[in-house]
Amino acid sequence: MKEKRWLSLGMAAILCAGGLAVTGGEEVRAEDKVSIVVATNWGEGDSKYDYFYPVFQKFQEEHADTMDITLQTYSTEDYKTKIKTQTASGDLPDVFTYWGGGMMKDMVDAGLLLNVDDYFADTDQVKREDFDEGAFDYYIAGDGNAYGIPIESTRGVLLANKEIFEEYGLEYPTTYEELLEVGKVLNENGIIPMAVGSNGGTPSEFLFSELYNQYDGAAEEIAALASGGAFKTDNAVKVAETLLDMIDNKLFPEDTMANGGWSASLQLYTDRKAAMTYTYPWMYEAIPDDIQECSDIIPLPQMPDATVDPATIQTGFTVYGFMINKAAYEDPEKHDALVQVCDMLASDELTESLTESGMIPCKKVEVNKEAQKLIMQKTLDYTADKNLVQVHYTTMPSADAISMMDSSLDELFIKAISAEEFVDKVQAVLDK
Amino acid sequence: MKKYRKAPVCIGFLLPVFLIYTLFLFIPLVQTGYYSLTEWNGITEKIFVGLDNFRDIFSNSDYWITFQNTIKLVVISLLIQIPMGLLLAYLLYMKTRGMKIYRTVFFLPVVIAPVAISLMFSLFYNSEIGVFNRLLEMIGLGAFQTNWLSNIRTLLYAVMAPQVWQYIGLYVTIFLGALQSIPGELVESAEIDGASRTQIFFHVVLPEIVNFTNICIVLCVTGSLKAFEHSWIMTGGGPGVRSAYLGVYMYKTAFVNSDFGTGSAITMTIVALSLVITVLFNKLAALTRD
Repeated sequence: MKEKRWLSLGMAAILCAGGLAVTGGEEVRAEDKVSIVVATNWGEGDSKYDYFYPVFQKFQEEHADTMDITLQTYSTEDYKTKIKTQTASGDLPDVFTYWGGGMMKDMVDAGLLLNVDDYFADTDQVKREDFDEGAFDYYIAGDGNAYGIPIESTRGVLLANKEIFEEYGLEYPTTYEELLEVGKVLNENGIIPMAVGSNGGTPSEFLFSELYNQYDGAAEEIAALASGGAFKTDNAVKVAETLLDMIDNKLFPEDTMANGGWSASLQLYTDRKAAMTYTYPWMYEAIPDDIQECSDIIPLPQMPDATVDPATIQTGFTVYGFMINKAAYEDPEKHDALVQVCDMLASDELTESLTESGMIPCKKVEVNKEAQKLIMQKTLDYTADKNLVQVHYTTMPSADAISMMDSSLDELFIKAISAEEFVDKVQAVLDK
Repeated sequence: MKKYRKAPVCIGFLLPVFLIYTLFLFIPLVQTGYYSLTEWNGITEKIFVGLDNFRDIFSNSDYWITFQNTIKLVVISLLIQIPMGLLLAYLLYMKTRGMKIYRTVFFLPVVIAPVAISLMFSLFYNSEIGVFNRLLEMIGLGAFQTNWLSNIRTLLYAVMAPQVWQYIGLYVTIFLGALQSIPGELVESAEIDGASRTQIFFHVVLPEIVNFTNICIVLCVTGSLKAFEHSWIMTGGGPGVRSAYLGVYMYKTAFVNSDFGTGSAITMTIVALSLVITVLFNKLAALTRD
């Protein structure tokens, strides 16, 4: 009995000693390593994940002795909510991808973000001049400073399946009247003319902006939104009325909610159930090779009373970039490690890798066109001579105005509200 | 002194619950009450605005749409879930063969994640690839085909349907347990006295399970008042807020639009609505007992 007691005591002592050793070891490691939290919306399943993760993993392994890097990833919509919640709880990641304009306003007002010029001053790896200067516009706040380093630029494209058009002896429409005629023939043959739904404002919101830019003074009106301009304009009502007319003429899928969202809208096109779709290069990963082959990128037809030739313009804007947590950056323990992480995120290596996912980079890197997907090559060719125009998403001054525009467009698409009501609802949020 | 001898034991049992409720319910509720009186985006300083947030939401048509949607869900859930649960439980109780299998089948949807059920129904409803319209056509009801989630007349009910259907099994299980707890002699006596099945059901069975029915009603009402997942997953509460309940509207306001002040005010109205319904229900239940 006594032996057993001694044995138990001995084992307990060994366990305690082991525990202490482990704890002590962790303390040593914790002192040596800097903990950095990186967050992105490029989670598993996202088209960029496969191009981002290998570069990130390599960096993580190379700095395993000095940095303890935690990567947090979520799908885009969840990610937006996560960052907002983390911001409210004072738990913002050290470096994170995020959107500019109205989306970053609260964080800038609260002094949570680093002026990116401070980072450029500290690094010898990346220079501000390495990026298209215009790409920073999306991240410039009211004080004139930029609070994000742009990563991705994009272009809105109208894809048309040439095989479907050939099958029914149709030409690509260049005017609204031609679009109605084409739509009539396609509908008679059970083909949806244009796969654009509206669920959470996608892709309808971007089509709205693309059409809006065809009207006189539209580009200035969209730009003015950022500095207190009105959403309620004659052009806005005109475009909303045109969209309603397009719905009445069955140019879109009937079930606009179920077939809304980027994926569902594109799916109808890739399934050959629709002859055209309006989308963006971040969806290219989901387009099969045979559909890329038979797809042409065409200008949107000119809308009634429009004065700008749609063949000369294209929506093009910075989608997002990454931001630096100011408090973390100013923490002497984290500073150097954060500079290195930012260098990786802004590196040519990562940028070039991401271009393969169908991304137009904001950084001036050599893009090997031949290595791109066929549909991306067609996009780059189409884009070459276009004047880039903005979308409402990037110039709306607040997140709730964007949110109202999205949800009201969903209502407009199911004809629950009129064109005026749609415009009034968005304006009411801006007025508030 | 004798009376206080057991006090430490009582306190020992009550303390954990008291602490948990205080930490995770009462303090957050009081905080939410305070936030509802402020203008706060979750980041910058809170600005005290008194009752402005409440004035804003009460003058906002979107709030009243979601309020109506929530009340409709409560009423429809009560009208369908409770009677259906009771009916199915009674059928199982009457015909006991295979009861365990049916009980499991009815209960199965309850344990499936609402997210999965919602996604499944979204696909069912899809006019291009969904089976719902095709089924209607196959059974000769093609005239009723519609775009379930894009038709303003059917949208809300299409979003309600999976939630109402999913939880019927819960009430079947509760009612079945209640029915099995009724002493067999009571039913036998009624049968000997010549009572019909219907008379037995209304005059013997129902009075015996009235307490269980009250529990089911409370579960049904509270479940409907905090409804969120089905609406959020299927439509995000949209288009606009047409398929949103108060919970979804609160979430969108606070977490999507970063308006935590107004979001908290909406939360307080949900609390108030729950309290009003609870008080009314308790009074009604007391009247029924009397």
